[in-house]
Amino acid sequence: MQGASLAAPGKAAAAAFTIASQLCGAAFLYLILRVDGGWQVIGLLALLGLGFTLLERLPWIADYALASFASVPLVAMITAAVVVLAFPFFVGSNTYILHLLIVAELYAVLALALNFQLGSANIPNFATGASYGIGAYVSALLAINFGVSFWLTLPVAALAATLFGFIIGIPSMRTRDTYLALVTIAFGVVVQQLLNNFSWTGGPNGLVGIPAPSLFGHSFADPLVIFGWKLPSQANFYYLSAALVVVAIVTAHRLHGSRIGLAWNALRADEIAAKAQGINVAWFKVLAFAVDAFLAAFAGTIYAFYVSYISPDNFTFLVSVTIMTMVIVGGMDNIFGVIVGAFLLTILPEKLRAFADYRLLFFGVVIIGFLMIRPQGLFPQRMRRYGGDL
Amino acid sequence: MSALLKVENVTMRFGGLVALNDVSLSIDKGAVLAVIGPNGAGKSTLFNVVTGVYRPTSGRVTFDGAEITGRPSYEVVDRGIARTFQSSRLFSDLSVLDNVIIGMHTRTKTGVLDALFRPGASRREMAACVVKAEALLKLGSGDLFEQRYRPAGALAQADRRRLEIARALASQPKLLLLDEPSVGMDDTETDALVADIVRLRAENPELSVVLIEHDMRVVEAFPHHVTCIDYGSKIAEGDFAAVRADPRVQEAYLGKAVAHA
Amino acid sequence: MAELLVQQLVNWITLGCIYALLAIGFSLIFGVLNVIHFSHGDVAMTAPFITLGLAQALATALGASSPAWLVIAVPVAVLAVGLIGVVLDKVVIRRFRDAPAMMALVATVALGIVIRELIRHLYPQGSNPHAFPRLVSGMAFEVSGVAISWFALLVVVLTVALVAMLFVFLRMTPLGLRIRAASEDRIVARMMGIRDARVFRATFFIASAIGAIAGLLFASYAGVTRFDFGVMAGLLGFSAAVIGGLGSMPGAILGGLIIAGIEVLAQTFVPDGASYRLVFVFLLVIAVLIFRPAGLLGRTVMEKV
Repeated sequence: MQGASLAAPGKAAAAAFTIASQLCGAAFLYLILRVDGGWQVIGLLALLGLGFTLLERLPWIADYALASFASVPLVAMITAAVVVLAFPFFVGSNTYILHLLIVAELYAVLALALNFQLGSANIPNFATGASYGIGAYVSALLAINFGVSFWLTLPVAALAATLFGFIIGIPSMRTRDTYLALVTIAFGVVVQQLLNNFSWTGGPNGLVGIPAPSLFGHSFADPLVIFGWKLPSQANFYYLSAALVVVAIVTAHRLHGSRIGLAWNALRADEIAAKAQGINVAWFKVLAFAVDAFLAAFAGTIYAFYVSYISPDNFTFLVSVTIMTMVIVGGMDNIFGVIVGAFLLTILPEKLRAFADYRLLFFGVVIIGFLMIRPQGLFPQRMRRYGGDL
Repeated sequence: MSALLKVENVTMRFGGLVALNDVSLSIDKGAVLAVIGPNGAGKSTLFNVVTGVYRPTSGRVTFDGAEITGRPSYEVVDRGIARTFQSSRLFSDLSVLDNVIIGMHTRTKTGVLDALFRPGASRREMAACVVKAEALLKLGSGDLFEQRYRPAGALAQADRRRLEIARALASQPKLLLLDEPSVGMDDTETDALVADIVRLRAENPELSVVLIEHDMRVVEAFPHHVTCIDYGSKIAEGDFAAVRADPRVQEAYLGKAVAHA
Repeated sequence: MAELLVQQLVNWITLGCIYALLAIGFSLIFGVLNVIHFSHGDVAMTAPFITLGLAQALATALGASSPAWLVIAVPVAVLAVGLIGVVLDKVVIRRFRDAPAMMALVATVALGIVIRELIRHLYPQGSNPHAFPRLVSGMAFEVSGVAISWFALLVVVLTVALVAMLFVFLRMTPLGLRIRAASEDRIVARMMGIRDARVFRATFFIASAIGAIAGLLFASYAGVTRFDFGVMAGLLGFSAAVIGGLGSMPGAILGGLIIAGIEVLAQTFVPDGASYRLVFVFLLVIAVLIFRPAGLLGRTVMEKV
């Protein structure tokens, strides 16, 4: 049943593997960001496909990888930190690539946020774009109308969106499955329509002139100077978004491995049985909505201050569907998978710009394809392991 | 001796269908009550009413001195009633170990803020759960402990029943409701099951058990209190010998051509 | 004052009928297959495009102006859309019949996207709105000074006729009875051998064909059609079905009338009400889903524990 398997790696081997694999990943990401022209992209995609097929055929590779990362967590994290921090230096002044990375990071956060509901608890939330939008609008309105600083708008926007999350969550207590999805769709549409119609939200034209944040006197609109290197102003937002991704990962990891994550998985598997274990299913459903909204609002705020202009079109039903695709394709209830999904589905459509007009069609077909063939996503959820067992 | 669980005149109607008709029974601390009756008689409905899945149309349920009629399931579990289901409702895509840990939900208290901001405490509590869960898995018959990382959905039928019981025990209940635990078990496995229950009671003298069963091997092992339900009504009560000899019980089982295990 | 009232009444009934027809499609499919076919609206809205395209092609090939060819194009389009519905079921939707509800929902949402994009790419200048002719024009008669158009009459007559035919079909033909049986209890129907492909094919065909008619009337009413009309049509039609009760035909009609009523009321009494109509409709949908998820006339299904 197991096939070939390697003994748990020694520390040195694990460290080497961890560092090497992360560097390879970073190099691949860099390549795919840099290339232009359809054929090179397709070539890289083929490589990706190959790598993935290998992983599928030889599952011990994945086990070995996870064992390595788990045995030298410090090395793994330091490598990751170095890669993330150093990346902009290699990208140089290519602001387009930085922009892509920022958007990918924000979508990664949104996908991780949705994963609590969709992946862990199997609650289809089609209104996740609305929480994203509420976060963006609240912070933008505060900044434009009251001159509130970016850093203060963050918690306020998060609170507002969480409140919205609770509000949607309440009907979710009594409804399930399809009906619940419908309620979220309805909410999403309502929010978008209201944003579109109210004049104080700028109507269909949205809000412009959101001021750039500043930290210790350094404005994010200015280029970033580190050790004599000058990075374009996007780098500021790149690091900010990366920090948010880290927060999202830590949140996801802690919740997943805790009593909360188990309760979500239980209610996903069988609501009635979950109740029979003492789980207050209604509360946990609402909680999933709230946590999703909270993180989504952070992403929305950063987005608003990054592009300095938002409109209801940025937060449509389609945005929710896109985020959902990232979770479905990447891997339900798998943190790594979800991030990969987000990056893949942000960067690929951009790179296949030759087929730009077909992007939506592509998304639709991809979703259906995955749901039919591989509903658990590229990186399916893994069993939790405890103690020394790995 | 005051009863641990008292079901008083409970009637359960679903539209025109009367699933339970003025049923009363009680069970004391440390006792075993066997509930028998033909298929569809309403036995599982009884469990559902006691555990808050359904709110009875009329009647009362009292547990440990407090009224629990119609209280939601999660609250009932918190008070100390645990149950298994007639068709195993395991969390199929989670591991055997995780299934048991989830059973401890009411005896743990890490909330969302704890999980996020006090990860050390959260992890310690989880580690303690793992230790207890592994101990529970080792206890019963079968080799659940060796299979602890397998997805629950992959287990053989007998193991599934055992896991359901282990999960129910994880919440340290005062009252255990077992719904046809021996379904799908052959004679050897059934005997092992009976041995498990006997040992359980020896280790927890205060634990009460209500057993819905079709397999008379099991009922024979706990012959002191038996109740028979047919068409939603209680038709006999007493010890096993008396109930078995009751003509109404015989008619309920044999008067209709229904096959039993 | 009376004129305004009558005019609004006419609008209400006309729109209500159109939404009812859309809702019937959703309800029929849900009732029999327990699948919310979220792309039904998009399927329905392929009808105007097929009609236009066909009429144009016939005019180019055989002369005469395209409006004249509508007589042929319309029924052909309706049949074609019926077939499209069947094909979609066979290729995509069938795989999700027994899957968790969420998957089916997401899949049909994605399907809707695919259909819209295909329309946009396959129809010349698909991104632009295209004028759609009134299927019948002119005024029929007057009531208290308000002229009632032939179109309004057509809509009502067509709706009544279709509902009546559906009623007779479901109650008196063998296939119809099998469809109803499958709708009442899928499990029992399956055990009695009613789970044959014919029932599902028929359901999809009828639902899609009726949807096509609704789509054509919708485009006719609006005077224009766009590739993304399916979104609005779908959302409104399905809201009507939910409010009335998924799986219930009378519910679909009731739901359609309610939604149309909200729309007309919003337009009349709330300033700039037209753009808010979706908000009101959806707030109502949310309320129904919370307090009476089975809808006004639907049945609640109990799960065996």
